[in-house]
Amino acid sequence: MIVAKQKPIAEIKEMLRPYQKVLILGCGTCVKTCFAGGEDEAATLGAALRLAFGQESKSIETEELTVERQCEDAFIQEAAQAVARNEAVLSLACGAGVQAMARRFAKSVLLPGVNTTFIGVLEKPGLFTEECSGCGDCDLDTFGGICPVTRCSKRLMNGPCGGSKNGKCEVSPDIDCAWQLIIDRLTALGLQGNLKRYIPAKDWRPSLAGGPRRLLREDHVI
Amino acid sequence: MKSDGASKLKSVLAGGGFAVTAECGPPRGANAEIIHRKGEWLKSCVDAVNVTDNQTAVVRMSSLAACLHLLELGIEPVMQMVTRDRNRIALQSDIIGAYSLGIRNMLCLSGDHQSLGSQPEASNVFDIDSVNLVHAVRVMRDEGKDMSGFALNGAPEMFIGAAENPFADPLSYRVVRLAKKIAAGVDFIQTQCVYDLPRFREWMRMAREEGLTEKVYILAGITPLKSAKMAQFMATKVAGMDVPEAVIKRMAGVTGPKAVEEGLKIAIETIAELRAIPGVRGIHIMAIEAEERVPDLVKAAGLMPRPMK
Amino acid sequence: MTGTEGCDRYMSSKFEPKIHVFFCVNALDRGVFSTQDPEKAARIQSVKMPCSSMIKDIFMLKAFECGADGVMVVGCPAGRCKRVDGNIRAAKRVAWVQKLLDEIGLGGKRLVYTASSDTDAAITLLLKGLAELGPNPVKPAAQASPR
Repeated sequence: MIVAKQKPIAEIKEMLRPYQKVLILGCGTCVKTCFAGGEDEAATLGAALRLAFGQESKSIETEELTVERQCEDAFIQEAAQAVARNEAVLSLACGAGVQAMARRFAKSVLLPGVNTTFIGVLEKPGLFTEECSGCGDCDLDTFGGICPVTRCSKRLMNGPCGGSKNGKCEVSPDIDCAWQLIIDRLTALGLQGNLKRYIPAKDWRPSLAGGPRRLLREDHVI
Repeated sequence: MKSDGASKLKSVLAGGGFAVTAECGPPRGANAEIIHRKGEWLKSCVDAVNVTDNQTAVVRMSSLAACLHLLELGIEPVMQMVTRDRNRIALQSDIIGAYSLGIRNMLCLSGDHQSLGSQPEASNVFDIDSVNLVHAVRVMRDEGKDMSGFALNGAPEMFIGAAENPFADPLSYRVVRLAKKIAAGVDFIQTQCVYDLPRFREWMRMAREEGLTEKVYILAGITPLKSAKMAQFMATKVAGMDVPEAVIKRMAGVTGPKAVEEGLKIAIETIAELRAIPGVRGIHIMAIEAEERVPDLVKAAGLMPRPMK
Repeated sequence: MTGTEGCDRYMSSKFEPKIHVFFCVNALDRGVFSTQDPEKAARIQSVKMPCSSMIKDIFMLKAFECGADGVMVVGCPAGRCKRVDGNIRAAKRVAWVQKLLDEIGLGGKRLVYTASSDTDAAITLLLKGLAELGPNPVKPAAQASPR
């Protein structure tokens, strides 16, 4: 899922300052799961903003609405009337959702309410970890299901650097050394051969380095 | 200023000599006098001088420029290159340029992560890793081709080095990684500073068992300690460093100038032990802003005059 | 509720804080906050919940939007939650909203969590915080009606 974090209230306040009527639009999929922009967060943020502006005698009217997914036009459609009756939309979706909204509502001001951070998993309640960089060319078979592109701080493809100690990364004791995990797992699976193989310089063309990507499924185009 | 021939470091090692190299950190500024001063200290006591590439992710005079300053003094440089700051296009271009200016040795590294340095807000590159870099230089040198396969008009005939850290984890994989670097084309290895001799011996034993010491020249790292505080710092704050409790205690037993003496004594003893380990072909002294002490150390370790057989 | 004598110590004659109390029915007897002497009871509005973990961020903020000067959440003593960790969740949620209140500028001290065994100290702490912060500064015009 895409993991995001709500922006600081002060930053959101400055974005909203020019407007009187604002739609706070939650997204009911990824950002809901990571507590950044679902229905509950939209309601809480609305109240927080009213209280924040209320102290400076600036009145702000907020309307809160949450659609299933802001990255898909079919769901965005549900917000059309609410968008029309407000001066600006504070979208709590990921960056893709904000842009999908901007594309759909050409004349509305679209503002981001969250910082989109990473593609990750819920490791345990309340803890989300980054697992995939969307590099466009998955080699997880070679690395025992642990991604060095994302989880090694130096994106090393040929084994750990000299900073790995007690299974932790030199960058922070909170980061597991991805290569320790890879070695442990490949060893447990009896696939040590993978560890000895030289991995050539990665082709980054399928990644963002090759420019913004697109996926076309001919069979779904009418 | 140009060195015409091949690497002198290579000829010392190939000739069976026990090599001595030392590290020289470039200044955090454009003052070339600092590099000249360090060069003068090191000139007569080592075979080649490594120039770090923005070590610890702190901005310094570029390794390439500092290498040229050393060449002017008649010192053979080892240009360090990290993959943290430059993509493969910039790396290859700098290698070609460095060779054209007379640099004959290079050390391929991934580099300390920038979050540990002075500008943690920087983006990193890590387009390729250090093993890929070794491979690229080897192909440039031996096949005369860049990474795209384009035939170069003049191949950079570099003597290719890489680092190894016998003290990082996991130990079992350290030798596998060394083998990978050798397969990729590395000629010599400079290791992390050795304080934990038993672990270093164990690593060397594993390397010998795999026949790796026959394929690569291993230079063991030496950093003389200056104080108990430094020993403590190295043990706890420096990534991938292993300083045993006994060494810290020994340093804690002395203070002031005596501590410096004690640090040198430990280094001299360690060098003697290292020379006795089969497969160790030289030492690499990383004095860390105390380059003026290197001549005394090399002399006291009985490694003068340079080069020696 | 015995801790309300703390009010006298911290309240000026002009400012009589309005406090909303969300309490777990297992933690306190029903209506405990409204049986005090009429003058004080008038300042306290209580909402009972099946478990303190039912508290949500928005409930606490709504209370402030409705004009509360302070909010108190009362859960069961440690280890005595019928739903095992409901009181822990409530306490953590309150801590989160305290940070949010600081961020907004209202002040985290307007909000406290307490176990039912410790309400005296909690209300004293809350009243002390409110004496420092003064009345809820959000103008009535900006205050929403309860939804």
